[in-house]
Amino acid sequence: MAFSLEDRRQKTPPKIIDLISKNLITKEQALDWLRSIYEIRFFEDKVYDLLGQNIIKGASHLYAGQEAVAVGACSAIQKGDVIGSTHRGHGHCGAIGNKYAETEELRQMHWNRMMAELMGKETGYCNGRGGSMHIADVKHGNLGSTGIVGGNIPNAVGAALAEKYKKSGAVVLSFFGDGATNTGAFHESMNMASVQGAPLVAIIENNLYGMSVPFSGSPVEGAGCAANVEHIAERAAAYGVPGMIVDGQDTAAVFLAVKDAVEHARTHTEMTIIECKTYRWYGHSRSDPRVYRTKEEEKAWKDRDPINVLSKKLLDEKLASKEELDAIRARAEKTIEDATQFAMDSPWPKPEELTKDVYVQETYPDEMAAKDRDNAKKALTATRAYESLIKTLQGKTKKEISEKAKEQIKADYGMSVLAMKDAIVQAQAEEMRRDPNVYIEGEDVGIYGGAYGATKGLLQEFGKERVIDTAISEAAIVGSAVGAALRGLRPIAEIMYVDFMPICLDQLMHNGAFNRYMFGGHAKVPMVVRTEGGVGRCIAAHHSKSLEPWLVNVPGLYVVMPSTPYDAKGLLKAAIRSDNPVVFIEHKATYGQMGAAPTDDYIIPLGVADVKREGKDVTLVSYSRQVMFCLAAADELAERHGIQAEVIDLRTIKPMDIRTVAESVRKTGRLVTVAESFCMCGVGPEIVRQLFSYTFENGRTGFDYLDAAPVNMAAADVPPPMSEPLENASIPTPDKIVETVKALL
Amino acid sequence: MAREVKLPQLGQTMEEGTIVNTLVKPGDQVSKGDVLFEVETDKATLEVESPADGFVKAILVENGQTLPINAPILVLGEENETVDAGAYKTEAPACEPDKHSAAEPATEHCEPAPASPRSSQSVAETGPTTQVVRMPKLGQTMEEGTIVNTLVNVGDEVKKGDVLFEVETDKATLEAEAPADGCVKAILVELGQTVPVNEPLMVLADRDENVPQGFLDALMHEGTAPAETVPDHVTAAQHAAAAPETMTPRPAGPTVAPSGPAERVFATPRARMIAQELGIDLRGLTPANALRIVEADVRRAAQAVGKKTKDHGVISAVSPKYTFGQKIPLNRLQRIVAEKMLWSKQHIPCFYLTIRADVTALVALRAKLNKTSSVKLSFNDFILRALAAGMQHYPIMTGQLDGDHIQLAASLDFGLAISTDDGLIAPIVRDCGARSVYDIAAYCKDLIERTRAGKLTLDDLEGGCITVSNLGGFGIEAFIPIVVPGQTSILGVGAITDTVVPSDGNLLVRKLMTLTLSVDHKVVNGAEAAQFLDFVKKHLEHPDALVES
Repeated sequence: MAFSLEDRRQKTPPKIIDLISKNLITKEQALDWLRSIYEIRFFEDKVYDLLGQNIIKGASHLYAGQEAVAVGACSAIQKGDVIGSTHRGHGHCGAIGNKYAETEELRQMHWNRMMAELMGKETGYCNGRGGSMHIADVKHGNLGSTGIVGGNIPNAVGAALAEKYKKSGAVVLSFFGDGATNTGAFHESMNMASVQGAPLVAIIENNLYGMSVPFSGSPVEGAGCAANVEHIAERAAAYGVPGMIVDGQDTAAVFLAVKDAVEHARTHTEMTIIECKTYRWYGHSRSDPRVYRTKEEEKAWKDRDPINVLSKKLLDEKLASKEELDAIRARAEKTIEDATQFAMDSPWPKPEELTKDVYVQETYPDEMAAKDRDNAKKALTATRAYESLIKTLQGKTKKEISEKAKEQIKADYGMSVLAMKDAIVQAQAEEMRRDPNVYIEGEDVGIYGGAYGATKGLLQEFGKERVIDTAISEAAIVGSAVGAALRGLRPIAEIMYVDFMPICLDQLMHNGAFNRYMFGGHAKVPMVVRTEGGVGRCIAAHHSKSLEPWLVNVPGLYVVMPSTPYDAKGLLKAAIRSDNPVVFIEHKATYGQMGAAPTDDYIIPLGVADVKREGKDVTLVSYSRQVMFCLAAADELAERHGIQAEVIDLRTIKPMDIRTVAESVRKTGRLVTVAESFCMCGVGPEIVRQLFSYTFENGRTGFDYLDAAPVNMAAADVPPPMSEPLENASIPTPDKIVETVKALL
Repeated sequence: MAREVKLPQLGQTMEEGTIVNTLVKPGDQVSKGDVLFEVETDKATLEVESPADGFVKAILVENGQTLPINAPILVLGEENETVDAGAYKTEAPACEPDKHSAAEPATEHCEPAPASPRSSQSVAETGPTTQVVRMPKLGQTMEEGTIVNTLVNVGDEVKKGDVLFEVETDKATLEAEAPADGCVKAILVELGQTVPVNEPLMVLADRDENVPQGFLDALMHEGTAPAETVPDHVTAAQHAAAAPETMTPRPAGPTVAPSGPAERVFATPRARMIAQELGIDLRGLTPANALRIVEADVRRAAQAVGKKTKDHGVISAVSPKYTFGQKIPLNRLQRIVAEKMLWSKQHIPCFYLTIRADVTALVALRAKLNKTSSVKLSFNDFILRALAAGMQHYPIMTGQLDGDHIQLAASLDFGLAISTDDGLIAPIVRDCGARSVYDIAAYCKDLIERTRAGKLTLDDLEGGCITVSNLGGFGIEAFIPIVVPGQTSILGVGAITDTVVPSDGNLLVRKLMTLTLSVDHKVVNGAEAAQFLDFVKKHLEHPDALVES
């Protein structure tokens, strides 16, 4: 099935009694639709009221008027299916919660927790960390709501692809508004869902306005226009998928349309785009005066209030009496009143728990750290031995010499010598063999083997299901990885260059890094974004930056940057096993770097630095390729200047192992940080900041032990230039490190 | 020609004085420096010396009379001169402190100049009487001073010892005095200017003598010019003699704190920490890299001084700062110490009691408390507390013989001997009877800091009935201290030493501390003092009570 456009408004509206007779629903279900709509409505009216009283603070985007969409759609899915919500998400949260509320008591608790969340109370769904815009009960298949318009769609696509991969049969409903359909995330997501065959139903709640701008024009003088199409469902043509237009005020119509689309997704793994024409009673938010729409338009829509539409059907079709409907209304009103009281009586979150649940707390056994220390030292020694063997051994070709040297190292140290890129391939392959939940997605990761060969051969071993070539859609790549991680997979998303990270930073930060905390610690996002950075190939400013300072500025993210094949392999395996989102940044100039590594399965604890050379005169702290530069500089300092530099490889920038740095500075009194990223607010200054306040067992701080002002070496504050001499001039190099250290002593 | 002698300001806070003794009478011939009066201020009894040679023509005051400073008190004149004393009395501004009166320079300060200001020798270009007044070194650590008051004008006649400037250092405001008689020919500095030690301040010469402008210009540039361009007439020897006296020889090059009235020592945090650990005073150090003192500088200095990483407590170690054959000028503090100690030996007949206290428990208790206490407790704090307890049982230990009776102290104020760069000071810890050991510790900490910073007030120095002097930090086991005048006794505290002690047929190693009490026998008899000391000892041996009380 390819693109088709079906405007169901042209058909006779479905009768409830027909749905009952076809066994699609029961009469009780139909009455419960009305109850749910009333509950959402009273909830929103109450929130509006409490906002005015300043009892609820912050933003609240009210769903009143659109209830038929959430209630009809959520009624059309089964338990175990998944929804993705938006900033206008109280309706979705309310409807899905009712679906799981088996008893009246649980139903009341559901609304209690919703109201408490809006008030920022500890008893809320997200323990007061998310509030109106991030309300979610992630345990009941709600992927949560996002405050960034369009930002929730890639997550829904990823969740749908995860369910498909798991063969769970589950379908994902992705709710979003008309405004979201003009974002890049929408396009990237629809394209990805379409081409990957995601079991997804995209439900566009077209309430005609993206905040104040009409989607397709308005008679109001001065009002703008967001798009040149009237029906968003027509955009399904762009993705070659079915589109549907539905009366969003008619619960039965929404139910039926979504039910059809869900069945289609379940059986054909093909998505459908359903455009529900609807209207919001309130403005975009409470402060919106609604000057962009006419009173006549508002009245016309309010005449078709989903409460009226459904009530009329129930009465006309003699499924309920007026008294029964009044009783439903009264019951809903009481539920919300009780929920309000519950929320008012609830405790605030404790400020001392402010930082709880930013990360999943992870610890590593002491033996692992001890083994790493031994291995790291041995690997470095073996690597040096290999390097000198290469220079001394005889052979016809370089390859022959290299093979001989590798054999020698294996015999002498029990370690294999491999290139950085092969270490990365091995790490992924080992973890994919170990855990079927691990998969790879990204640009050119499949048959091409990755732009730098870091996924070479994996397609052949694991197939297209687990090594997924994507379109050039960074936001969809990272966003779908977030969605898949929320659904229990362990995605490895490759972003070809760290320079492309700003394109997907919304997904990485707001959803990947923040979801756990925003959702009160009830979710985890175990994903790895593998990327590369740095100068070294003369590919200029769009392909040569080091953006780790941006990334360490995101609470909830870990950032890992290896310097050797040994570190790369052990750290990547740890990153894949971590329950936290990890950005793993390789250096483009190191993929061919040879190094020794153990042959057995090993992982390196995240957040533990490695002292790569011991010294007493000065501490050099670095990571990634600059560690190699520091080691070269340290050799020269020792041989020619009698200066013993200690070289610390942070390996993990966040969490930062400041203890190892501080203990070293305690010994040497002098600190030089060496990084390839821009200096301002960079990693070096951050090391210094943490060192100053690091407190030793004797009460002294890192500051006390400094015998010279720390020096931060970093990239010049210029866009990385293409020309090689300029490129070299823009970053720290071994000779510059030598000069800096000499000047310090 | 007759001149009047005015009541000098004998201390920074002195506003008036009472004549308690007049040592001359009209017609007496006096020499410059002879004592004319004894004057009592609110702080002390001091001497007014004759500012010049001459004959006493009139005494303008009576014993018991209280006068503001600068009030005329005596008229000097030639042997046969006739002087109308009444004229002086009526002319004199009764109580207005008139320090700026240029025509009548203030009388000489009763104290000699703390350090001899250097003066330029007469040279060919200048007359034989030309004298350059230079910034004197008014304290051990003084490197520069700020001119806060100029008391003379060009053309004024000044006498040797007249105060020319008030100079503010990082420690105090001090007076720069005229090194010789003469007429002020030129003032080379301005108010507010900060001048390094030994830089020229003023040129004096005979009234008739002409001082060439070129000479003054050369002097003016002396401060800023490099050494090579110092005028020829300033000899190398003088330069050497003028080198500041510091703990370590100061090589040529920038000093640690090249400017600013408050001497800021630039040192790395690590250098400060190590200096603290090794007991090195950073102010005396010159950094090898000329920017700031680093760890290596401190370690070098520590090696030079031969210091060990040992905490000396209240008493700091002394480094060799003098050379043999050197004439060491008495500073004010040492002069006072000398006077008081001599007085004590002459007027306080002492007996001496020695006892050994087993402070094993105290050592353990102190270590335990210091783990949690915000103020670190020293042994002295416990000793002061124990003395307070003892005095409460033996109040006679606070007594002073006063004519026909013994006057007991109103409160338990104890002195604490503190060694400073400038000498020995024993400021008072007030009201020890009402203070817990923690209170005493906090009080002492503040007192020691202020003592070392030169920020003691006179209130900190008055009164007291006993002083604690602890030389234990230097390894001294026992010593006999000298009672501070005005007090009843002094306790000499020795080092705590591990000592083998017989106990029930066994030998135990215990921590013993020797206490020696010097007591004024005019007030207290041996038996009472012995009981008092034994009481103190018992408290130190059972220290829990000291903490509880």
